[in-house]
Amino acid sequence: MLLGAVIFLPLAGALVAAFLPAGEARQHRGWALFVSLLTFAVSLALWAGFDASPGAPEFQFETRARWIPAAGIGYHVGLDGVALLLVMLTTALTPVVILSAFTVSDRVKEFMVALLFLETAMIGTFAALDLVLFYVFWEAILVPMYLLIGVWGSQNRVYATVKFFLYTFAASVLMLVAILYVQAHAGGSFDYLAARDGLRVTPAAQGWLFLAFALAFAVKVPMFPLHTWLPDAHTEAPTAGSVILAGVLLKMGTFGFFRYAMPLFPDAALAWRPAVAALAAVGIVYGALMCLVQTDMKRLVAYSSVSHLGFVMLGLMAITAEGLTGGVYQMLNHGISTGSLFLLVGMLYERRHTRLIAEYGGVAKQVPWLATAFVVVTLSSIGLPGTNGFVGEFLILAGTWLGRMPGAQVLAAVGASGVILGAVYMLWLVERVFFGPIAREENRRLPDLSLREALVIAPMLLLIVVMGLVPQPFLAPAKPAVDRLVLRMQQADQRRSPGRPTVGRQPPALAAGGAPAGALAAAPGAGSR
Amino acid sequence: MIQVPAQDFLALAPVAVLALGGIALVLSEVFLTSGARGYQAGLAVAFAAAAALAAVLAPHPARIFGGQGAADGFATFVTVTVCAGLALSALVGASWLGPRDAERGEFYGLALFGASGMALLGMATDLLVAFVAIEVMSLSIYALAAWMRRGKKPAEAAFKYFILGAFSSALFLYGTALVFGATGSTRLADVARGGGGPLLVGGLVLVTAGLAFKVAAVPFHVWTPDVYEGAPTPVTAFMAAGVKAAAFAVLARTMLAAFAGAPAAPAGGFGGLLAILAVLTMAAGNLLAVPQRSVKRMLAYSSIAHAGYLVVGVVVAGHPAAREQALSSVLFYLAIYSATVIGAFAVVGALEGRGATPADEPEDAWDLDRLAGLGRRRPMLALAMAVFMLSLAGVPPTAGFVAKLLVFKAAIAADAWGLAVVGVLTSALGAYYYLRVVVYMYMRPAVGAEPAEAGSPLLSVALGAAVLAVVILGVGPEPVASLARAAAAIAP
Repeated sequence: MLLGAVIFLPLAGALVAAFLPAGEARQHRGWALFVSLLTFAVSLALWAGFDASPGAPEFQFETRARWIPAAGIGYHVGLDGVALLLVMLTTALTPVVILSAFTVSDRVKEFMVALLFLETAMIGTFAALDLVLFYVFWEAILVPMYLLIGVWGSQNRVYATVKFFLYTFAASVLMLVAILYVQAHAGGSFDYLAARDGLRVTPAAQGWLFLAFALAFAVKVPMFPLHTWLPDAHTEAPTAGSVILAGVLLKMGTFGFFRYAMPLFPDAALAWRPAVAALAAVGIVYGALMCLVQTDMKRLVAYSSVSHLGFVMLGLMAITAEGLTGGVYQMLNHGISTGSLFLLVGMLYERRHTRLIAEYGGVAKQVPWLATAFVVVTLSSIGLPGTNGFVGEFLILAGTWLGRMPGAQVLAAVGASGVILGAVYMLWLVERVFFGPIAREENRRLPDLSLREALVIAPMLLLIVVMGLVPQPFLAPAKPAVDRLVLRMQQADQRRSPGRPTVGRQPPALAAGGAPAGALAAAPGAGSR
Repeated sequence: MIQVPAQDFLALAPVAVLALGGIALVLSEVFLTSGARGYQAGLAVAFAAAAALAAVLAPHPARIFGGQGAADGFATFVTVTVCAGLALSALVGASWLGPRDAERGEFYGLALFGASGMALLGMATDLLVAFVAIEVMSLSIYALAAWMRRGKKPAEAAFKYFILGAFSSALFLYGTALVFGATGSTRLADVARGGGGPLLVGGLVLVTAGLAFKVAAVPFHVWTPDVYEGAPTPVTAFMAAGVKAAAFAVLARTMLAAFAGAPAAPAGGFGGLLAILAVLTMAAGNLLAVPQRSVKRMLAYSSIAHAGYLVVGVVVAGHPAAREQALSSVLFYLAIYSATVIGAFAVVGALEGRGATPADEPEDAWDLDRLAGLGRRRPMLALAMAVFMLSLAGVPPTAGFVAKLLVFKAAIAADAWGLAVVGVLTSALGAYYYLRVVVYMYMRPAVGAEPAEAGSPLLSVALGAAVLAVVILGVGPEPVASLARAAAAIAP
């Protein structure tokens, strides 16, 4: 019931807003903020009530109800630790986004309704435990996002939004066929648990099913070379759209790998793992290199997302407890740090109405608080120790290095080069925008953060520091889910290649030679193997 | 002397009610003493409702008139769908004809006669009965297509529809003759028993071709864009909804008989032939819709594409394990598609450009540009159109998604995953042109200063009902889905 409330509160709020007069912009802003804050407050109860002990049930807050029994489709929702974290990320980001969108003045009612509808769809995607329910929420994202970009975006918005919609829609439809195929071969039920435990298909069919799911998720992540919709969508979207897109939507792809593509089809996932991991590593470097040549701030941040999500995918494909935990943690980090970057770039844009890096320079003197926030977020984005980004990237690289995946150490090395490149492009961006002499007259009259803007960015900065210094509360819920996935993949691995494991960590002796063992022991949540 | 039980006649009650309604509306024109025709649409809706009620309440023997018809759940579902489509189209018709000073009792009368043919077609299990029903339906629609007879496009449309329709009827009739020659009977039950050899196969191929004309399946679709574009918009809506529902009902029954009776037909039996038809229809319909700038023509091609998805449902009904699922998915799809497409054509009709006289037709009457900025000019109309477009594209949480889901689920159950893959890929292509309508409505400024006309209340009722159906059945399809499931158990 509690989970149902969190899922559908925003939708109820959107329905109420639909009946409020359109002319009352302030009323709509206030109402949307109130609804999203209320949702966040209720979701805190989920956080508090979640039992992360090893003996606890895998999915908590479960609800089952009849939905379309004529077709064997049920309403089944529940949360494991990873889904819980992503739901919390969603409910925490949405009020921030709504507050940041108080500057939207055109069609405020529709804007807020779209955001609230989007929140329900996002939470539902993470909470769904029925394949069709999942698909419905997954696709329901598209419509509000399509409108957010297309109606409130900048110059080239129509092209960007149509590309976004078609790219993701076309990639997802094959997943629908795969879902139907799974249902037909798993006892006629669309239930996730029934499908996971009861799926009986040939290895060849499993390969195709994995590819169908993986395609949908890889486009959403986005993985190189399926990322081309992302820079356009990010650049043209309004700030709120970019933040939601980076903060939550991309996580739906990585979450999809974690929840669906890997556990449902473990054998095929292992077969395709080298390719996916290699693409992830390529994405890390490619995204970082693309960042170096961007002239548009938003586009730069968009390409940095490609790089960061490459890290997440690399961590997931390592299939070690460290790698998976790091991947999950990095999902949260990316939501917070890249979300914050988009918020800050949006604030700069509102002051100067340009996103071109060359138009700025030296503005730190005019907007010291904004610059401070930007630097803190940058440090998180490049993974400086003491920020959340460090914990995630370190776990991912350590987990990959120590894993048994063929070529793991090469991939980890390539990934580590992405960390360096990340520092280069982000610090260079900060230098070009905020430091140096003020080259343009317009930049001399920029106002610093307003109270509202400070309220928008403060919770993000707080999270960056807290998650960097005390990661434990954020890692703990993910642990049971990570352990279960590692175990599941290990079983499949033994079937595939008995005696030559490719999953899990190398023996401690080797591991100690590869990295300081103490560092791993210090990394919480990295216990099981 | 054949003894016919009284309940066989009672089972025909919906057909009779619709025909009586047609007579009543034609007569209403005779007794008219003033120009006030506002009640006629209401009367048509009332007769449609009465017929639907009659269909539900009448006795349901599985065989009537010695196996020439069946008043089973399948027929009832089709009749109710047709009646709902008729009622919606009548409301749309009133709001469209009124301003053009073309509202006459005969319009509704013809529509009711057509609907009586459709209801009869839903019951037909004999090729000759089906032929008579098809003719009753088609003659009314030919006349309706020519309703605005002074325009060039309506004249062309009606003429084309009549010629090609007559041709397809001839094919159907010739096929029926061959079937009779092969089996000594025109009853589907006898066809299913088989044993007619190549003659039976040849006859059934011709019958199938005749029906493929009616449902606008590729390669028998060439009339569709011109006729759909030229016919008065409410008539197009009624054609897309009613004719399609009735024709698919008889196609499904005929094909079930053909699957059983002529398994040795080329290309893997009738299942294989029909599968080829389905792939062609889905691909060509969606591909040809992409370049269209006229929204009405785009919807015509889209109706071809949707016929393709429905043919998939019919094909997989040949698989015994998937039959019930497949037939129920076809019925559900027909019901949802009717509501959606009538709504979409209603919006098109409300916006179409008009010349000074009926003969003076603007070239861009249905151009996409007329939709530009609709989100600001007429927000409710734009919202309704957006819902219809998303439903046609099959985006959750609209009913169109559930309909596609059920069809493809049946395809997977029949192990026809190839058809499902083609289906989803072509529907992804379809998303492009449906979205373009939304782009124009919400993301482009209005072209020219078109005054914001007030919509007629009848149109609002029709659109409201269609939007509610699409949204509510998208979120909670169970009531209709279970009805469709119950109706799918038909005798082969």
